[in-house]
This record gives sequence, C-alpha cells and structure tokens, in this order.
Amino acid sequence: MNAILVDKLTKVFPGGIVAVDSVDFDVRVGEIFGFLGPNGAGKTTTIKMLNTLIRPTSGTAIISGYDIRKNAAGVRRRIGYVGQNVGVDEYATAWENLVLYGHFYRLDRSTLKQRMNELLDLVDLAGHEHRMVSTYSGGMRKRLDIAMGLIHWPDVVFLDEPTVGLDPQTRAHIWDYIRALARFLNVTIFLTTHYMDEADQLSDRIAIIDNGKIIAVGTPDELKKSISGDVVILSPCSAREEDCQGFIEKSRQSLADRSYVVAMQAMERDLAVYVTEGETALPDIVRRLNQDGIEVRTIAFSRPSLDDVFLRYTGKIIRDQEGVPTTYADIQRRRNKRKS
Amino acid sequence: MSLVTDVWFQLLRHLRMQLRMRMWIVVSLIQPIIWLVLFTQVFTSLSTLPDLEGVSYLQFFAPGVIVMTVMFGSAWAGMGLLHDMDMGILDKMMATPVTRLSILLARVMASMIVLLVQAMVILGIAVIMGVYVTTGLPGLLVMVILVSLLGLGFAAFSSGVAMYVKRSEPLVGVVNFIALPTVFLSSAMMPPNLLPEWLDTMRRFNPLDYAVTGVRDLVLNGWVWPDLLSSLGVLSVWAMMGTIFGMIMFRYKLQ
Repeated sequence: MNAILVDKLTKVFPGGIVAVDSVDFDVRVGEIFGFLGPNGAGKTTTIKMLNTLIRPTSGTAIISGYDIRKNAAGVRRRIGYVGQNVGVDEYATAWENLVLYGHFYRLDRSTLKQRMNELLDLVDLAGHEHRMVSTYSGGMRKRLDIAMGLIHWPDVVFLDEPTVGLDPQTRAHIWDYIRALARFLNVTIFLTTHYMDEADQLSDRIAIIDNGKIIAVGTPDELKKSISGDVVILSPCSAREEDCQGFIEKSRQSLADRSYVVAMQAMERDLAVYVTEGETALPDIVRRLNQDGIEVRTIAFSRPSLDDVFLRYTGKIIRDQEGVPTTYADIQRRRNKRKS
Repeated sequence: MSLVTDVWFQLLRHLRMQLRMRMWIVVSLIQPIIWLVLFTQVFTSLSTLPDLEGVSYLQFFAPGVIVMTVMFGSAWAGMGLLHDMDMGILDKMMATPVTRLSILLARVMASMIVLLVQAMVILGIAVIMGVYVTTGLPGLLVMVILVSLLGLGFAAFSSGVAMYVKRSEPLVGVVNFIALPTVFLSSAMMPPNLLPEWLDTMRRFNPLDYAVTGVRDLVLNGWVWPDLLSSLGVLSVWAMMGTIFGMIMFRYKLQ
C-alpha cells in the first residue's frame, strides 16, 4: 500500500528552468521517507507540488488516494505540511495557533480541544500553550509548527528541512519527536533534508535527487552497500618494520583473486580493501593472509556513511578524483574538513 | 458556509494581532489628528475663497482626511500578506483546506474594521472641532459604506500586488507611487471648481474622488441622491474589481 505514488512529476519554471524532471517514486504507508538532495536540486519544488502549493507542469502524484492535480482539496484534507520556515503566528499563543488550524480542518470544538492537549503533550509544549509564541525558542516554535501540521490526524506529514537553522541539541530533540510521531501516530512522514546524518538517522528509505532527477532510492543500508560495500583497513606492518610497502604489496597480491574485493588502495602503512560486505570478508581476509604467511597487525572495517553515498551518486567526488576510486584517506580528509 | 467561518477565524487572528501592537494603535490614532489640525492650520486662509461659500476649511477638509486615512491605511494591506508569506504562514495555510478567498477577504476586512474605527475617531474629533454632519446618523451609516468600499478595493489591489511582487520593496514603491497622486487627482484638498480643467476631468476616473464627494455631500450638503448613487455604484465596482484582481493574483501564485 502506497501513501504517495509519484508519476513522471515535472516542473518547468518560466524561463525554461527544469526544476523537477519526470520524477517517479513511491512512499509506503507508515514509513519515514527521506528526500535528499543538495540545495537547488528540486527538493522544495517537489514538496510544494505534492502539497498543492504549486502546480506540476506535467505528470502527477497520488497521495492517500487523491490526485494532486484533479483533487487538490482531497489531498489538503489528508496531509500536514510543515514548511522550511516556521509558519506559526508570533503574535498569538500556541493555543490560538492550534485553534485556527483546527478550524481550517473543520474539527468540532470538543474533538479539537482533546486533540490539542494530546499534541501539546507529544511535542512537550504542555504548560506553555498560553504564552505568546514570540517568547518561544527556535526549537519550541518548530515543535508547535509540527503539532499544527498534525491537528487533523493526517495520513502523510511533509517535513521540509525540519531542523535547518537549529542548534545540534535542538536538532536531536526534533529527531526524537519525529520518531515518536512515526511510532505513536502511525503517520507516513516525507522528510526533505540536506543533512546526511538526519536522513540516515530517521529514514526507513531514502531517495536522492540531483538536478531535478531521482538518482537513487533505497534503505540507507542498501544505498551504502550499493557503492562498493564496506571498506576494510588492515595493516601488515608492525611499528618498527622497515619494508612496510613490501608487506602491503604482498597482501594486495594475496587478496587479488577474492571475489568480494571490489578495489584496493595502498596507503602509507595500511591497505584499504573495498569489499562487498565487511562481516563476511573480514574472517576470510585474515585467514587468507595468514595462509600466505602475512601477519595482520591491525584490522578494522567501516561502512561508508551516507555522505559517501551521496557524494558518489551526485558524482562530485568521482569528478574531482577523475575516476580514481575514493580512498579511505580521501574520506577521512573530507570528514576532517567537514568537522573543522 | 465554510467561507464565512474561515473568514471569521482569520479575522479574529488579524484583529487580535493589531490589538496586541499597542504602539501601533497609538500612532494610527494620533496621525489623522495631526493631519486634521495641521492641514486646517496651513490652509486656513482658503476659507476666504468664494467657492467654499463661507464653509470653514476644516468643514470642507474633514471628509477628505477621513477618506485619505482609509485609503492610505488600506493601500498598505499587502504588507501584512507579505509578512505571512515571508514567515511561511501563507504556504502553511494554503496547504490546508481553508478557502482561498477567505485568506484575502479576512485580511481586507480586518484592515477595514481598523480603519473604520480610525475614521470614526477622526469624525468625532472633527465634530468636537466644530464640524456639523447635516445628514446625522443615517448619513454616518452611508459614509461607512462608502469608505468601506473604497478601502476594500485598495486593500484587495494592494494584496494582489503583494502576491505578484512577493517582496516588500516593490510594494512600498507601488504604494508610494500611487497614494499621493491619487489624493492630488481628487477634490480631497481643493474644491472641484478651483481645480484646473484637466484635473477636474481626471478625478472622474479616481475612485477616491467618489468617496470624497460622497462623504462631503453627506457632511455639508445633505442627501444629494444622484451623486450619492453614482458614488456608491462606482465604489462597488471598484471594490469588486479589487477582489477579482486579488483572487487572480492568488491563483497566479499557485502556478
């Protein structure tokens, strides 16, 4: 059963800019679907089309059984939209904001009151509901924003960059709320973000969009495996060993015929082995090297992060490196650069 | 009847917001008083002109101030919409089943209500300063209708322009460009007989002038039905045109 079914959805803006180019994907009921892409990739345009805020040039999407082109009113009744900007009224209290939205969805007074108390508890704003929103912190505003999108028991909630501009601690909190929504309210969540860790942490499945096209869809694990599996870093050299490169070269030859090896890259004192699956490759690598008389001093394997997946799929690293496979060192360097 | 309730709840929101901005209330009540006092002082010698026929300039100008206040106020209605647009409030609302027309109407009506209160205060002060309203309370009611229609049109046009330009700077430009010439191309400050002929012709295409002459008749001359009906007619068309323009611009935003 699909919560969202997107069929050749296309948006061409005046001036011929193709923001979204014949995009197809589906979102299953109850899953958190991460929609990932660099800025300007077409994320927000897609979400705005799905939310009936702009009209597609061609193609369409079915949300909860309603066609976004033919039955926008039906779609609006079944979705909750939490946009990139916090769409709450600062000159009102949380309570007043929620009441207004309750009326937009034609909820009767007692149902609305009950639902509001439920949601205020869920997003931890109970006790603050009669304060002016202008006195709220950024995180509180975002939580209210999310609660407003949930007032009518929507089937699908769209969260467009829900943590942009929030500090790391608040981000982590918002993630908890999003997980709680999926778990307790059983809603389908469509999440756009350009934070890899956010998508990785929250999503059941991810679609990557670049230049208006979907370039990969899958679970975070599938996507990571799809780019060469895991990377095993081993060192055959002890600290005082002189001929380190010799041992590395020997190791390389010894492993060359293994079917799980995708690529290898020698480093100063280590050998990076790209393998299809680290769990099964690791014991075999150790056994094989021992048979050939090479002592493995250290060995570790890591999964590529979604960052690496993203960079690989959007082509940026490959283009930078001119076809040379991404090395462990490259990945580390990139990580360090990001941290600093 | 969802349109009525949609308008009602948004109207509450807008009025609540206005009431919570105390400074704004004070300023918007003081400003027209300054208009009234300052202008009548500057133009005090105009009352000796033959065409005013012994009417004090205050008596002549008070209707103009009321209409101008409503016009200036409503011409800025689009700014509130831009605020909602910038804050993401508009997008969030548009993704709900709320009727589109209600978003426009609630805004326009909120600014109407505020401006009518302002207009009443000005009129009250004018009366205290010695202006006498010939047509009394029924006249007051018709005045309210006249300025409401005028304001409705301006507020709706302003909202439509806001939807189109999507930024405050061009809207400020447009409002400044339109507002003052609209006043000068009318008989708000000067009796029609004293206007140059081309201006006298131009003012017949100016909705503001129909409001000014309507209100002035009700204050000074009593029930001049042919003029009053033409004012009501023209201003109704104006208000309708504004609303239609506003709605078209709302649709345009959806493209």
